[in-house]
Amino acid sequence: MVAASLSTPTAAAGAAPGGWIAALLAEASGGADALAASRERAAQALAQTPLPSRRDEAWRFTDLAPLTALTPTLLSPAAAAQPPVADGSLRLVLDGQSDPLAGITLPAGLEPISGDELDATLGQVLAATGSAALWPVLLNGATARAVLALRVRGTVATTLELVSDAGDGEGILPLRLLLVLEPGASVEVLQVHRSSGANLTSLVLEARLGEGAELRHGLLAPGAETGCLLATVAVEQATGSRYSGVSAHGGWALGRLEPRLVQREGAAHSALKALQLADGRQISDTHSQMVFAGPDGRLEQLHKAVADGQGRSVFNGAVQVPRLAQRTDAAQLSRNLLLSDRARIDTKPELEIVADDVRCAHGATVSRLQQDELFYLQSRGIAADQAARLLLRGFCEEVLQALPAAAVAWQPLVSLLGKEGR
Amino acid sequence: MASSATVGDLVSQPYKYGFVTDIETEKIAKGLSEDVVRLISAKKNEPPFLLDFRLRSFRQWLQMEEPDWATLGHPPIDYQEIIYYAAPKQQEKKASLDEVDPKLLETFEKLGIPLSEQKRLSNVAVDAVFDSVSIATTYREKLAEHGVIFCSISEAVKDHADLIEKYLGTVVPGNDNYFAALNSAVFSDGSFVFIPKGVACPMELSTYFRINSGDTGQFERTLIVAEEGASVSYLEGCTAPMFDTNQLHAAVVELVALDDASIKYSTVQNWYAGDENGKGGIYNFVTKRGQCRGDRSYISWTQVETGSAITWKYPSCVLQGADSVGEFYSVALTNNRQQADTGTKMIHVGPRTRSTIVSKGISAGHSSNSYRGLVQLGPKAVGARNYSQCDSMLIGDQAAANTYPYIRSQQPDASIEHEASTCRISADQLFYLQSRGIAFEEAVSMMVSGFCRDVFNQLPMEFAAEADKLLALKLEGSVG
Amino acid sequence: MIRPDAPVLLEIRDLTARVEDQPILKGVSLTIRAGEIHAVMGRNGSGKSTLSKVLAGHPAYTVTGGSVHYRGEDLLGLEPELRARAGLFLGFQYPVEIPGVSNLEFLRVATNARRAGKGEEELDTFAFEDLVRERLLVVQMDPAFLERSVNEGFSGGEKKRNEILQMALLEPLVAVLDETDSGLDIDALRIVAGGVNHLAGPDNATLLITHYQRLLDVITPDYVHVMAAGRILRTGGKELALELEERGYDWVDAELAALERTPAEVG
Repeated sequence: MVAASLSTPTAAAGAAPGGWIAALLAEASGGADALAASRERAAQALAQTPLPSRRDEAWRFTDLAPLTALTPTLLSPAAAAQPPVADGSLRLVLDGQSDPLAGITLPAGLEPISGDELDATLGQVLAATGSAALWPVLLNGATARAVLALRVRGTVATTLELVSDAGDGEGILPLRLLLVLEPGASVEVLQVHRSSGANLTSLVLEARLGEGAELRHGLLAPGAETGCLLATVAVEQATGSRYSGVSAHGGWALGRLEPRLVQREGAAHSALKALQLADGRQISDTHSQMVFAGPDGRLEQLHKAVADGQGRSVFNGAVQVPRLAQRTDAAQLSRNLLLSDRARIDTKPELEIVADDVRCAHGATVSRLQQDELFYLQSRGIAADQAARLLLRGFCEEVLQALPAAAVAWQPLVSLLGKEGR
Repeated sequence: MASSATVGDLVSQPYKYGFVTDIETEKIAKGLSEDVVRLISAKKNEPPFLLDFRLRSFRQWLQMEEPDWATLGHPPIDYQEIIYYAAPKQQEKKASLDEVDPKLLETFEKLGIPLSEQKRLSNVAVDAVFDSVSIATTYREKLAEHGVIFCSISEAVKDHADLIEKYLGTVVPGNDNYFAALNSAVFSDGSFVFIPKGVACPMELSTYFRINSGDTGQFERTLIVAEEGASVSYLEGCTAPMFDTNQLHAAVVELVALDDASIKYSTVQNWYAGDENGKGGIYNFVTKRGQCRGDRSYISWTQVETGSAITWKYPSCVLQGADSVGEFYSVALTNNRQQADTGTKMIHVGPRTRSTIVSKGISAGHSSNSYRGLVQLGPKAVGARNYSQCDSMLIGDQAAANTYPYIRSQQPDASIEHEASTCRISADQLFYLQSRGIAFEEAVSMMVSGFCRDVFNQLPMEFAAEADKLLALKLEGSVG
Repeated sequence: MIRPDAPVLLEIRDLTARVEDQPILKGVSLTIRAGEIHAVMGRNGSGKSTLSKVLAGHPAYTVTGGSVHYRGEDLLGLEPELRARAGLFLGFQYPVEIPGVSNLEFLRVATNARRAGKGEEELDTFAFEDLVRERLLVVQMDPAFLERSVNEGFSGGEKKRNEILQMALLEPLVAVLDETDSGLDIDALRIVAGGVNHLAGPDNATLLITHYQRLLDVITPDYVHVMAAGRILRTGGKELALELEERGYDWVDAELAALERTPAEVG
C-alpha cells in the first residue's frame, strides 16, 4: 500500500527520451582516445537501458525533465575565471578533453596511471560498489573522452584541486577521475564543479584506498538554474583505511550526488558529511550507499538539506550490513530544513541488517528554523529575516567548514546561498 | 558451563493452535470469476449496491498487478486454486448460542475464546468468525441498549444497509491496491461496529478469526464507525491450523472517526507461520486504514504480529480533521523462514495533526523483518507533528532486519522526528541476570519484554496477557 | 571473624581456567569458611577478576582443571542462575545496563528466585516493595532508582550501590565483590563498605577482589591473598595488604620469577 500511493506513475521525462539519448550517442561516438573501447561498450549498454523514470525506486522523487531539456551535444567549455590558487594546493582544470596534467609538475607521491594499467583498473571500483550499471555512470561512460588517473604513494602534503566550470555553453561535460591510494598513502582532494548555463556536468570518480590509506575528499558544486549535475563517487576501502567525504551542492535545476562506498573487508572508517540546497524550482538529490563487506567497519554520516522556494530535496541513505559484517558501527543522521510552504523534502534512510552484533542507528528530522533560536536572536535586537539568515548559515557551516581548507578561496557559502548568505 | 539453550531456541515455541476442527463445511468450487463474485453476493442475499461494489472492484482487480516492492519473496499465488467461500454447515445464524454447533463452540473454547453465557469473558464482547462466516456475537443485546451495533458484516448488510452503503469502501476504495480490490470483490464476513454520537462503548469489542479449511482463502472485511464524540476499543485475534500448503488471507479494515471520536484498534495476530523450513503458513496481505475525518478525532493501531509466513500490512491513519491524532504501536516477531514487511502510513492532511509511531521488530532464525513506513505532511498540515521510533532486535546472525522509513514534508511549519536503532541481547546482559538467579529463559523474556514495553503498554488490559502467550515467552510482570 | 570450626562454604582446589585460548587461572586454591572476610589483591591481569567470573559461571570462561565446592557440592556444573539461587553472589566490576527492564521488577524476580532457592515463599508485589524500601536504607539509595531500567544511565557509584542493594536482597552466603571500590569517590566508598559490613555475619563470607588498600581500610579482612599470573602467591593477614601498599607490587614480580623457575613447587 505504501508504494501504491507513493509511486504515482508519471510519463517518462522528456518528449522523446530515446531520441535524446540517440542524438547524444551519435555526437559522442568515434574517436581513437584511450577510452574509445569502453565508451563504445557503455554506449551500447546505455542505448538498451531505459531512461530512469519515477517508476524506479531510485528515481521516484527525481524527475529527469531538466536533463532531457538540454541540448544533446558534447560541451567544450571556455576557460573561466578562477580564484587564485591557495598555498599548498595544486589545481588541475578539467574540461573533458585536454590533458589536465600537460605542463604540470606533479608533487612527490603523485603519478599518472596510463596504458594497460589504466585499462585494467578503470571501472573496477564501479564494479565493486555495484555502480557500473547506474544510468548516470553509463551516460558518463558513453560520453567521456578523457580520464584523469592518479596514483598516490605516501603522504602527499599538497591539496589536489580538481576543478571544472561548464560555463554558459550548451551540452554535456563528462568528467572521469580515478584515484588509486597505495597502502598507507594519504592525500586531500578538493573538487569544485561550477556551471552558469544550460548544461550537464557528468562526473564519475573512482577511488581505491589501500590498507591504512586516507582520503580526505571535498566536493563543492554550486550550479546554475538551468544546469544539471550528475555525480557518482565510488569508493572502495581496504582495511584500516579512512575515507572522509564532505560535499555541498545546490543551485542546479537537477543536482544529484551518489556516493557509493564499500568496505571490502570491513575494519575501515567512512565518514560522509553533506549539505544540499534546493531553491527556486531546483531538485537537489543525494542517494548514498554504504556496504560493509566485512566486520568491524564504521560509518558516520550526516546529511543536511535545505529546501526553499519550490525546491525539492531528496535523500536516500542505504546502509547494508550483511552477515559477515559483525561489530559494524554505523550512524546516520538526516537533518532537513523546510523553509517554504511550496518546497518539499523527501528523506528515506534505508537500513538492511543481517548481523546481530552491530550498532546501527539512524535518525531524521524535518522542520523549519527553530522558533526559540530565532526568538533568542530577535530578543538581542536582530531583525527576523537577518536572524533567519544567520541560523541558516549556521546550519550550512557545520558541513562547509569540514571541506578542505582550500575550499575557502571558492567562497562555499556565498556560492551556494548567494550574497545574502553572508 | 554455558547454557545449553540458545536465545534462538527460546523463540521457537511450537504452535499451539494448529488443530483442525472436523466439521461439515459448505464450500463453493475453487477459482475466481465474475460468476463466483455474484455467487458469494447471492449467498448473502446482498442488495444491488453491494453487488455493484464487488463487481466494480473485481473488474479493477483484473487490471491490476500484484505488488512486488516489499522485501518479500514467495512463489506466485494461483488465484484460481483458492476457494473463495467456505462456511460450516448450519442453517441461518443462530439467534441463541445454545443452537450453535457445539463443535464450533468447543473450537473457540480451545482457542481461549469461550462464547457460552457461563464462560464468556465478562467485559469483552466477541464476534467469532469461522472460515468465511461469523458464527456468534456475544453481548449484542447489552450493547444495543447503548445504541452500539456490533454484529457480523453480513448481518449489518441486512439490518443496517444504509450505514454500510454510507461508509463501506470510503476509507479503502475498491481499487485501493491489488489485495484490497480482491477483498472488495470476494469478502465473505467480518465485523461491523457502529458507536453512535456521544457514546463511550461500555465494553471491549473483539473479533476472533479462525481459518479452518485447508484450501480456503479468508477475505474478511471490518468496518468501524465512531460518530461524533463516540469511543471504542476493539481487538482482533486470529489463528489457523497447521497445513503444509500456504493459505491466502487478504483482509480489509476501515475505521471512520468523526469529530472528537476515538477508536483504539488492537491486533494480536497469530496465524500459522509455517514450519521451521518455511513450509505452509498464511500469506497475510492486509489493508488497514483509519480515517480521522473529524476534528480532534483519534485513531490508534496497536499490533502484535507473531504469525503468518508472510505479513504485508501497513495500518494507516489519514489525519484529515484539524487536531486529529494517529498512533501506531507495533511488535513484529519473525522466526524461521517468516517474512514480514510491515509498518504504517501517517498522512497528515489537516492542521495541527499529530502522529506517533513506535515499531519494535524482533528477527530470529532465517527470517526477514522489515519496517516500512510513510510519514507525509501535506501543504495544509500547519503545525503538524510526527515522532517515530523504529527499533530492531536481532537474534542470531541469519536473520534480517530492514528499516525503510519514507518521510515527505511539504509543510515548513511542522516537525518530523525519526529515530531508529538496532540492538541484540548481549551475552553480558544475560549473564548479569542469570547471576542474580534469573533463569536463562526468563532473562530472555524480560529483555524481549523490556524491548517491547512501549507497545505492550498500549494493549487493553484483557489482552496484554494474550500478547505474552503469543510471543511464546514468559513476560510476567512487565505488562499491563 | 576466624573460627577454625566454622563450616567451609567455598573450597577451591587447583583451579585452572582459560578465556578463548588464553590460560588465565593456573592453579588457584582457596578455602573460605563461614564468618570470614577474604581479600584477593593483585595487579591488573593477575587473574583475580577471572576468578570471580569463573565462580559465578560466566560462559566466556572455560574451566580446564581443578574443582570448586560450594557447601560441599560441586559448583562448576551449575548454571549461573542456580549458583545465585544457592547463595553465591557476584558483585560486578562493570554492571551492565539493561534498557527496558525495570530495576524494581528485576530485583523482585531475582529476590523471589533466591527465596525459592532457600525454600521460602515468594513475596508478592506489596511485600517485596516493603522489603526493598527497607534494604534501600543499607545503601542509602533513592527509591527513584527502582523505577528506572536496570543500571541504565546510572553513574558509576549508583551502579555499585545497586549491586550492594541486590546483595542485601539476595542475602548470599558467599559474596564475591569484584573491584567494588573502583570508580567510587570517598563518600560512595564509605556507603558501599558500610553496606558490606552491615551484611557480613557469622554465617556468611565475603571475598573482596581489589587492587588497592583503601577498601581494606574500611572493611577489615581476615585473610589477604596476593595473586599474580593466575596463582595465589602468598596468603597472610590484614598486615599483608599494608605491606603491599608500602612496598608496591614489584616484589611480587621477583617472587613470580623465582616460581617460574621451579613450577613444581607451586601449591
